[in-house]
Amino acid sequence: MTKVKTIVKRDGRTVLYDETKIASAVLKAMTAAGSEDPVAAARVANAVGDHLSVGGEDCSPTIEQIQDMVEKELMREGYTEAAKRYILYRENRTRIREGKTSLMRAIDEITNVDARLSDMKRDNANIDGNTAMGSMLQIGTTGAKAYNEHYLLTEEQRVAHHNGDIHIHDFDFYALTTTCTQIDLLRLFKDGFSTGHGFLREPQSIASYAALAAIAIQSNQNDQHGGQGVPNFDYAMAEGVGKTFAKTYVRKLTESLEDLTGALDEGDFVKELVDAVSARLGAGPRLVNAADPGSADLFDREVTGALAESGKLVFDEAARIVASSRRRAEKSTDRATYQAMEGFVHNLNTMHSRAGAQTPFSSINYGTDTSPEGRMAIRNILLATDAGLGHGETAIFPIHIFKVKEGVNYNEGDPNYDLFKLSMKVSAKRLFPNYVFLDSPFNLQYYKPGHPETEVATMGCRTRVMGNVYDPSREIAYSRGNLSFTSINLPRIALESHGDEKLFYEKLDAMMELVARQLLDRFEIQARKRVYNFPFLMGQGVWLDSEKLGPNDEVREVLKHGSLSIGFIGLAETLTALYGHHHGESEEMQQKGLAIIGHMREFCDKKAAETHLNFGLLATPAEGLSGRFIRMDQKRYGKIPGITDREYYTNSFHIPVWYNISAYDKIRLEAPYHALTNAGHISYVELDGDTANNVEAFETVVRCMHDAGVGYGSINHPVDRDPVCGYVGVIGDVCPRCGRREGESVSAEKLAELRKKYPGMPHFCGCE
Amino acid sequence: MALQEKKEIGKDVGFERIRRITGYLVGTMDKWNDAKKAEERDRVKHGLTR
Repeated sequence: MTKVKTIVKRDGRTVLYDETKIASAVLKAMTAAGSEDPVAAARVANAVGDHLSVGGEDCSPTIEQIQDMVEKELMREGYTEAAKRYILYRENRTRIREGKTSLMRAIDEITNVDARLSDMKRDNANIDGNTAMGSMLQIGTTGAKAYNEHYLLTEEQRVAHHNGDIHIHDFDFYALTTTCTQIDLLRLFKDGFSTGHGFLREPQSIASYAALAAIAIQSNQNDQHGGQGVPNFDYAMAEGVGKTFAKTYVRKLTESLEDLTGALDEGDFVKELVDAVSARLGAGPRLVNAADPGSADLFDREVTGALAESGKLVFDEAARIVASSRRRAEKSTDRATYQAMEGFVHNLNTMHSRAGAQTPFSSINYGTDTSPEGRMAIRNILLATDAGLGHGETAIFPIHIFKVKEGVNYNEGDPNYDLFKLSMKVSAKRLFPNYVFLDSPFNLQYYKPGHPETEVATMGCRTRVMGNVYDPSREIAYSRGNLSFTSINLPRIALESHGDEKLFYEKLDAMMELVARQLLDRFEIQARKRVYNFPFLMGQGVWLDSEKLGPNDEVREVLKHGSLSIGFIGLAETLTALYGHHHGESEEMQQKGLAIIGHMREFCDKKAAETHLNFGLLATPAEGLSGRFIRMDQKRYGKIPGITDREYYTNSFHIPVWYNISAYDKIRLEAPYHALTNAGHISYVELDGDTANNVEAFETVVRCMHDAGVGYGSINHPVDRDPVCGYVGVIGDVCPRCGRREGESVSAEKLAELRKKYPGMPHFCGCE
Repeated sequence: MALQEKKEIGKDVGFERIRRITGYLVGTMDKWNDAKKAEERDRVKHGLTR
């Protein structure tokens, strides 16, 4: 018998046959099975060699043929367990190999296909898959996902994720970082901070406060895969407004004094004088506070007195220039604040993070600071948003969230009522702000007057982190965020239960158990990271308690302030699959829906109590997920009316978007689910026409949400824009301003004519 | 190119249509994935009568 000399590898190359390689693979399988025996391993390898040699000298067997032979030999020798291990090993290698092939195909698609034709490249609408940096990000994402799937998940988790029983969100970042943070700007700005590329001193004017706020959001975005929020935008900007006003007050007074006395430099004199008054009264010059107008009066009188006493001018003159300086300083500060807010909005829509592929996902919460400085900041961020970007475009970022609170801004007579009204005017035109309702019981339970950190803030997408089982003394919105979240394909569980309610709940419990385990596995990976893995988030003390850690410390303990969220999609389709119709259709179904979601919440609470980690229930945002599950389920079950017959599953607990229902009923039915989904929720109402012309209707809906106990809500209405003539509003087939249809051109003469009527019209250059 | 040299402006330029996607906005709808586009298409308006 002639021994086999060569074999053919998978890539087609012929190499020398090496029996020791077979022996070593067999030995590994035996060791894994707990039956390590080198002699037996060599015997199996020999036998395989003999069998192969039957084919003759010219025969080169393939790897697959050899492996088949090894399996047979192991079985024949009675090493059943080792044979199993060997088969498992082979399957795993095959999967990884196939993974590599599909990885290459995916990279090929990213490289060569127009994003408009590739759904994969539009998975996240915020990334432009047609650009170099966007494509590079997508290639990295694809590679990371392949690695994570094969190396970091258990087999059960891998199959569940792969087959669409669950969806592990931001899976590309599985082993790298956490989701999001509400950045407390006041704490970050105090004594300055470093971006890693240079140190920034504590800001001293509203312009710097706004600029540094954008930088903080950008820097933190590079450490996390989700969005970046500011929970206290008004309170933080108020400090900057105050600093600008104080400086401007001194400058205006100096200029007036110089005009009167003819002296060239009264700057030091005025500054010393104002500082002395400030020291005496315990506070510097401030804007007039409607709640306490006396303190500004007192300050001005003291300054007037000191000026007159100096002998440089008489009392009446002093009083006159102090009054005019205050007036001018206030006007100038207001203008500076508007410019700062305008710059902030422009920055957030143009600056990039993540290898330049994405604008940061930014959200700002405000509305409750009643100080005159905070009010000035709120009014101007709203006005800048109302004005739009350079060509009047609606700004996409930041997401604005207006905090609604009775006694602060909700009712006539409340100190910020005027700003609440203004916010609705702006939102009716620009889609932002959205509204978070602090009076809803599940938000009110945390609220402590005078402690803004206890006001619920939300990430724009809806993520909410408030309760804290890890540290119940820190139930605050600041400096915390979500760690990771995984969503459950609820309609599939219902379909697999074939109308058997008991079976549905059993399957649901098993799936939540699987997800909870997977979230804990992911937490373990995240917890082992060090502070140096998050140079801004942890290194600059943005995350709660991270300032207590050194650069080489593990982040495990401080991460426990964050949340682990179990999400879901398609309650409406779930109910239809189980009972025949959804919760918009009958009160009975509403009760069934609340029972399911209530059950899921109980599970999360139980997990939180067991682990002392913040498990919570999330009404998943589901952008890419809206189509992923249903595409798979259509393949499995076909198109079942009311369940799998559309291109998307209905978002979270929403009433289906296609179902006719009044705004009032939609809000009434969805509100109770807000109370159950403690990791985040949102309800939308769709209004027709140009709501900018009907702010009253808009307000009716916001008030309805407040009174119904909604946590977070927003109102959708069409916002169209014709880039050629700059018209913003509702555009049907024809632009109401320039009269063109989509894709048609307009004559330059006509645009010039229109510009006489609308002087603010942009000059379209075709480059936008 | 200066504006006055062009006779006609805006050929092949579409309208921008901004809608809320999952809480946030995106620039224009051409960047949305197919499922969310379908969902947006199906959205019905909600009346204000009770």
